[in-house]
Amino acid sequence: MALIELQEVSKLYGFGDATVLALDEVILSVDKGEFVAVMGPSGSGKTTLMNVIGLLDRPTHGSYLLDGRNVARRRPNQQAKVRRDRIGFVFQSYNLLARLSVLENVALPLAYKGMTPVRRQKRASDILELVGLRDREYFMPRQLSGGQAQRVAIARALINKPSIIIADEPTGNLDSTDSKVVMELLADIHRQGNTILLVTHNPELTRYANRVIYMHDGMIVGDEQTAIGNMAKGARRTHFQRRKVTDDEIVEGVSALMRDVPGKELASKPKKKAKRGRPRTKKRPVGRPAGHRLKAGSRQRREKAKKR
Amino acid sequence: MWSGNFKTAIGNLRANKGRSMLTMMGIIIGVSSVVTVVSLGEGLKHQVTGQINQLGSNVITIRSGKLVGNGSGIGGLNLLAFLSTSTLTDQDVQAITKLSSVNSVVPIDFVGSSAGSDKRQLDNIFVVGTSSKMADLLHQKVAYGSFFESDDSTNKVVIGSSIAEELLDELNPVGHSVKISGATFVVQGVLAPSSGGLLSVAQTDFNSAVFMPLKNARSLTNGRTNILQILAKSNGDELDIAVNDISTALQKTHGGQTDFTVLKQYELLGIAGNIVNTITRFISGIAAISLLVGGIGIMDIMLVSVSERTREIGIRKAIGATNRQILNQFLIEGLALTLGGGVIGVIASLIINGVLRVYTSLQPAITLQIFIIAVGVSVAVGITFSVTPALKAARKNPIDALRNE
Ligand SMILES: Nc1ncnc2c1ncn2[C@@H]1O[C@H](COP(=O)(O)OP(=O)(O)OP(=O)(O)O)[C@@H](O)[C@H]1O
Ligand SMILES: [Mg+2]
Repeated sequence: MALIELQEVSKLYGFGDATVLALDEVILSVDKGEFVAVMGPSGSGKTTLMNVIGLLDRPTHGSYLLDGRNVARRRPNQQAKVRRDRIGFVFQSYNLLARLSVLENVALPLAYKGMTPVRRQKRASDILELVGLRDREYFMPRQLSGGQAQRVAIARALINKPSIIIADEPTGNLDSTDSKVVMELLADIHRQGNTILLVTHNPELTRYANRVIYMHDGMIVGDEQTAIGNMAKGARRTHFQRRKVTDDEIVEGVSALMRDVPGKELASKPKKKAKRGRPRTKKRPVGRPAGHRLKAGSRQRREKAKKR
Repeated sequence: MWSGNFKTAIGNLRANKGRSMLTMMGIIIGVSSVVTVVSLGEGLKHQVTGQINQLGSNVITIRSGKLVGNGSGIGGLNLLAFLSTSTLTDQDVQAITKLSSVNSVVPIDFVGSSAGSDKRQLDNIFVVGTSSKMADLLHQKVAYGSFFESDDSTNKVVIGSSIAEELLDELNPVGHSVKISGATFVVQGVLAPSSGGLLSVAQTDFNSAVFMPLKNARSLTNGRTNILQILAKSNGDELDIAVNDISTALQKTHGGQTDFTVLKQYELLGIAGNIVNTITRFISGIAAISLLVGGIGIMDIMLVSVSERTREIGIRKAIGATNRQILNQFLIEGLALTLGGGVIGVIASLIINGVLRVYTSLQPAITLQIFIIAVGVSVAVGITFSVTPALKAARKNPIDALRNE
């Protein structure tokens, strides 16, 4: 049985003419021990997907089975407990609590579990040892470098021995050296049998993954198995990287940057873009099944959302 | 979990020291004023009970004029009787003396006067014309010298403690001479200080009065013969019989009219106690309003704090805090705020009490009970007014909270 099983999961934001389809009937299953890299242009729904899997957000349609149990419609408190016990988050912006020491930050999930202070501090110390920050236990988050802060965040994500670690652009704010340290750490964690979902814009980082998922317009448009150590084939396609700004565009200024805004692109040439977006890699059966079950009304709504 | 939450709460309040202090101000003022008012009332009540205990329960007061109602309520003080001419006379005293249920009788008459020594002059003192048995009947202690023994005219007087202090600052004023309304008298005794004002036996301050036999006092007032009030003491436990006997006897001497009032002294004091109680409750009610205002201030700041810390709430929820745990965190923060205010308020009221004791004649009595109530009330205010902000925090959707900058 798959660890994560998404069945036609859709997520709509807003309503009426302003409806955005952030996830479009996504079907995905992830097995225990996989290291999945998620790639895709800005606004393609990667973060939304992670939030749904991490139970931070509820899907509008579809079901989400975690270890065979549907968790998408659980009560907020039950979802909080699932997050606490089974999911570890690593955010781009670290999200450490500024007023707590490094040790307290790492130990916090255990506090919510009701563990005694002595025991949880001991555990937190051990985990900090693992990420090489034992000597920073009593530092405050603001006294840490970006790389160190992210390692603390990883320690916090690990402390409850979660089934899944979700890292949404964990290296987004880091330089290449710090990125490497953080990624090596995640690789270590993966080698110990953990399941990791990593959102990234950097094709280099797909070397750490054994599977790469490509997203576009809220759909999974590509799914590729790769060997660890090799860069995924699809990842090389420039479309999934952040665009390098050319000198000409710097001169052009803001109007050039606007080209990157997906909404605008969609509005002008939706057809063409969809074609470009599809990487020619070996695909798993993804996207919309032949006879999909959305009613006509919601279908129209989606079309509207795309045109916007 | 709770201790951890408390630590976090204190940390958060520390981080915003100025704001926390201002927020607590309402609670501090509320608690300290309630505690001060209640302890003042409590102190007055103690004085009343002290008086009753000192007097014994068998003292009867007879006053001129008819009391409206049954003697309870504010009528018990019957201030009008002081303004109109009293209907009590020497005959009444004699009639009461003859009663078998009455042990001793003492007339009391006041004359406003002035007193002087070779050093100082005091206006606005009272000369109390009474009998030699007054000190005994009222259990009034004499600090120096002795109370006068005969009711005949004499040039000896007994003075109250304040007069002794203000007029003659010798260690022992006995034997010194004082001038009262022009005539010279020799001090024979000085009374021990007694509690004055509203609660004193004859609604006058014995500490600033001069005592002399009734005959002497009359000679100072160009021959007035009526008496302001008569004090009597019943035999043993015959208080009710004595009250009846006195009423009957006086009705006879007054030609069948009931233009006088016979009161049991402890009832009179009880009435004073009730008045103190009512006033205390009223004022502490007003003071309690500032607690309410303080509570609203706390709610306000907590709401600000919750929206400022939306992201923190998001992070906590992401790593597994349940709604209940977030709720507790903010409740405890509000609680810490009010509890802090309550404790500081209690400390402030202790200081106020000390100041009152030193600089005024008030004797506030702080009891443990007052403290417990004050702190309890501030805790209740804290919880009540933190519920809304805490619920707001607890119900935040984790992803929306996380997106908040
Ligand atoms: N709270 C929201 N309200 C409305 N629309 C939203 C909200 N969150 C996301 N969206 C929309 O959903 C779509 C997917 O957003 P998402 O954040 O998942 O993209 P992403 O792939 O993570 O992009 P990036 O690479 O820039 O992080 C976008 O079009 C975005 O505008
Ligand atoms: Mg994102």
